Amino acid sequence: MKSANTPLAMAMPALFWATASLAAPNTEEEDLALVYGDKNTVSIATGSPQALSRAPSTATVITAEDIAAMGATNLDEVLETVPGMHVSRSSIRYASAYVIRGIGGGSQTNPQVLVLQNGIPATTMYANDKGYAWFGVPVENIARVEIIRGPGSALYGADAYAGVINVITKTATDIAGTKLGARGGSFNTWNTWAQHGGKWGDVDVAAHLNIGATDGIKEIIQTDAQTANDRRFGTHASLAPGPVNTGYDAIDSSLNLSYDKWRVRAAYKLRDNLETGAGISSALDPNSRGRAENISGDISWTDPQIARDWSVGVIAAMQYYASTQPNNLQLYPPGTKLGATTFPNGLIGGPNSWERQLRFSGNATYSGFEGHSLRFGVGHDDLDLYRVKTVNNFILSQTGAFELYGTGEATDITGIQPHIRPHRRQVNYFYAQDEWNFARDWTLTAGVRHDRYSDFGDTTNPRVALVWDATVDLTAKLLYGQAFRAPSFAEQYGTNPVVNGNPNLEPETIQTLEMAFSWQARRDTQVNLSLFHYQMKNIIRLVQNTAPAVGSTYHNTGNQHGNGLELETVWDANDALRLTGNYSYQQSIDDVTRRDTGYAAHHHIYARADWRFYEQWAFSTQLNWVGERKRSTGDNRAQIPDNTTLDLTLRSTLAKNQWDLAASVRNLFDATVLEPSLAPGTAIPNDLPMAPRSFYLQASYRF
Amino acid sequence: MVGVSNTGWFSSKLIAVSLSLALLMPDTVAFAQTENARGFQLAFNTSNNPIAVIYPDIAEPYRSVFAQIIAGIEDKTNMRAVGYAVGSNVDSDELKNALSRQDAKVVIALGRQGMKIASTLDRNIGVVVGGVITAPDQDSRNFPLISMSPDPALLFARLKQLSPGMRRVFTVYDPQQNDWLIQRAKAAAGKQGLELVAYEARDLRSAVGRYQEIFAAADSRQDALWLPQDSTTVEDGSVLPLVLQESWGRSLLVFSSSFGHVKRGVLFSLYPDNAKLGRHLAEMALAFLDSGDYGERGMILLREVMTAINLRTAKHLGVNASRQQDFDMAFPDE
Repeated sequence: MKSANTPLAMAMPALFWATASLAAPNTEEEDLALVYGDKNTVSIATGSPQALSRAPSTATVITAEDIAAMGATNLDEVLETVPGMHVSRSSIRYASAYVIRGIGGGSQTNPQVLVLQNGIPATTMYANDKGYAWFGVPVENIARVEIIRGPGSALYGADAYAGVINVITKTATDIAGTKLGARGGSFNTWNTWAQHGGKWGDVDVAAHLNIGATDGIKEIIQTDAQTANDRRFGTHASLAPGPVNTGYDAIDSSLNLSYDKWRVRAAYKLRDNLETGAGISSALDPNSRGRAENISGDISWTDPQIARDWSVGVIAAMQYYASTQPNNLQLYPPGTKLGATTFPNGLIGGPNSWERQLRFSGNATYSGFEGHSLRFGVGHDDLDLYRVKTVNNFILSQTGAFELYGTGEATDITGIQPHIRPHRRQVNYFYAQDEWNFARDWTLTAGVRHDRYSDFGDTTNPRVALVWDATVDLTAKLLYGQAFRAPSFAEQYGTNPVVNGNPNLEPETIQTLEMAFSWQARRDTQVNLSLFHYQMKNIIRLVQNTAPAVGSTYHNTGNQHGNGLELETVWDANDALRLTGNYSYQQSIDDVTRRDTGYAAHHHIYARADWRFYEQWAFSTQLNWVGERKRSTGDNRAQIPDNTTLDLTLRSTLAKNQWDLAASVRNLFDATVLEPSLAPGTAIPNDLPMAPRSFYLQASYRF
Repeated sequence: MVGVSNTGWFSSKLIAVSLSLALLMPDTVAFAQTENARGFQLAFNTSNNPIAVIYPDIAEPYRSVFAQIIAGIEDKTNMRAVGYAVGSNVDSDELKNALSRQDAKVVIALGRQGMKIASTLDRNIGVVVGGVITAPDQDSRNFPLISMSPDPALLFARLKQLSPGMRRVFTVYDPQQNDWLIQRAKAAAGKQGLELVAYEARDLRSAVGRYQEIFAAADSRQDALWLPQDSTTVEDGSVLPLVLQESWGRSLLVFSSSFGHVKRGVLFSLYPDNAKLGRHLAEMALAFLDSGDYGERGMILLREVMTAINLRTAKHLGVNASRQQDFDMAFPDE
């Protein structure tokens, strides 16, 4: 037995002052603090049951309360606060691109990050990313966002590559009543929403509808791709200098029904009048509008105790996604001349595609072996891009030259030269994982998933995690994982002669080694540190075709590696003040050129103070600094300027907590914020300007 | 150019919803203002409901606790509750008048504010209390009160389930706060084949001394430490970290009546299932309406509970907690 020389004994002198009996609880808060703990734990206890641990990882969980505190109006603003993550923008429509640990920049799509809605992939097949229906997803119906950095293919399959983002929507318990809300702000941005959480008979019901619109930012692009064309061909067609076009109309709705072991969910997302950002071809286009529609649903049945030591769940999910251009897109403005051909109406294109997906899966856990927890799963995905329609006023010749088609009016050329042909991909998979508590305070989790794709074949991805609970306050983890991203249909089956798909593509792969430490430094201070190294192989890139062929084709070519760290801390200074901060560092190197891969920030600092300064009044301020973004090989422009923004949010609940009010200023000092345009910078040399100072007011009323 | 084309039918919908929201505002604001002067608000109303719910006007996140209890009450009574959110400046007479206008026959009083008011009501109105830990100044009417303190019998049963070899449970308590609880806990322990060794401590210093004695005497193979809801002996800032550190080093099983302690590192805790608690309160209120008898009386320990587990601590102690379906909440988030 240990002697009295223990932490408790040593602490005795410090505690001698406390001779008087502490007061017994007198207030509601004191009573509830004894039952639940501090305010954060009350929120956890009264929220919906949280997901139980499935695999050790480097993860961040952002709750609805965090989202409210940071004054975020959409999902992208939430994700920018995550360690190791930066939300960049593509020039096409200004779609968000999630760059995690340096991976995900330099592309018009975002296929290396898996976005899940309630655990089900939101991936669209054409570009293998979340698609355009996820533009500016509103946050009031989000219960929490779980972000896993690093590979997750051993559980989640394709595209859990740089990271996984799981958006979990509110249940009946989370909403508990009926709420109406409205928000308005800069750029003529408006949203109104209604939420209801309650019971219909024995069925728990959560319903949500948000209708919104924005004109979007109007920052100026000085020169665009058409400016370069004008110089080359002596025309004056470019609309630059001119504003970017980032407006859209939005509907987001969902219905979540649960009864006993059954749950049925449906969601609808529409983005209409979706403007073109800096232009689909990096040539400003103020008049075209796109439309993206996403309908998803799932039915699941879960029995946590179907037999002794067994739990089982099955799920069937569907997703319909349509990306259409009702009035086509102005790829280049009227008067464009390309080569010898002049296009009086400009280049007009209308790529439309329709997809439907069915996903079936089952999983089981078995905990009958002492010290082990086994998890198994099987699944089948049916991913069908079943219809395409291509409307152009031009056609590409065999030599890759743009030629006027017919009279130069936009015409359906699907039968002649579609931008992609319909394609159906089927995937069968199984996975197994064992969590083995092999010695006191030591756990080894090993898992593997095998996927069989109908088009590109098989892939197997393992994951191993060694976790050491070193002390009551310190956990250390050593993690290794391998992941893949599937080639998108556009990369594999695109038939655009200038950008050819390649049916022989294989998955892009990554192997990641991580060390992570989680330290409860003090009762009120949590510190997490993660260190990582990754190696990417078989990267899918566009490669110039060999002469005499023109254009480019996707190939698996090139490797890159990277190293970095994320340090984060949360300090509850007192009951009224919480300070949160993180610092991320990464460096990613192209293995061929031995140069920085560019686009991604080497340094990223985020800090926030949440201060409940008077009863039901709270104030928060957040600072975001994105630093040192180099150019990629062949791009000789100066380094991308650092971004520094400061946001303020004031919140209050009034009238017996029935009113929630919030006012926010984003980018208070009106700093110039730029995201990198694609290398080599000939299309949009001055990068992509982001939002200036903006203001938002929000009110919601609870019945 | 852009603004106009971006509007269309969306804008008309926006305007419609905004208008409906705006139309809602003036009435509600005016109502809240007039009621605020009396320190309470009729938060929701329905006719012909003989049950009134008085609950504290309190900010989130605590508000959710009472909202969930009320949802449970509504579920059981199958009708919208007539709820009165009361602040510290409540005018009791006005509230009584409102109850009278409602023709309330029974009041479900939640929280200390609710309990305080209910104790002053006419004796012909039934009273059921919930959402508090104890009632030190409990009214002589002896209305039933469901404590937010989990029944030690359930805690001990869970302990035996997770670690069947346990024989003794140590605890340190302030008799001013928990004497009533320890008496009941001793009886409950015996039924589970456990011996409860309870040390009294009236201040922090003597509590620390008691913990030292426990750590010196405890045998982790058969002894466990229970942390009751006690602001004197289970002080979160300085004592709890030391207790956790010491028990980790000795592999001593610690469990608690406070949910938050599981996040900090105790093995498990039971915490209120608020919706079920609400249904239980409503059952007693309905029984009173039906027969004039609540069916139960006095201080009732909480049996509507959920379980939180710390999987990390379970692994450290060699406790098999891999059947995660047995638990409602698991820490830590991996």
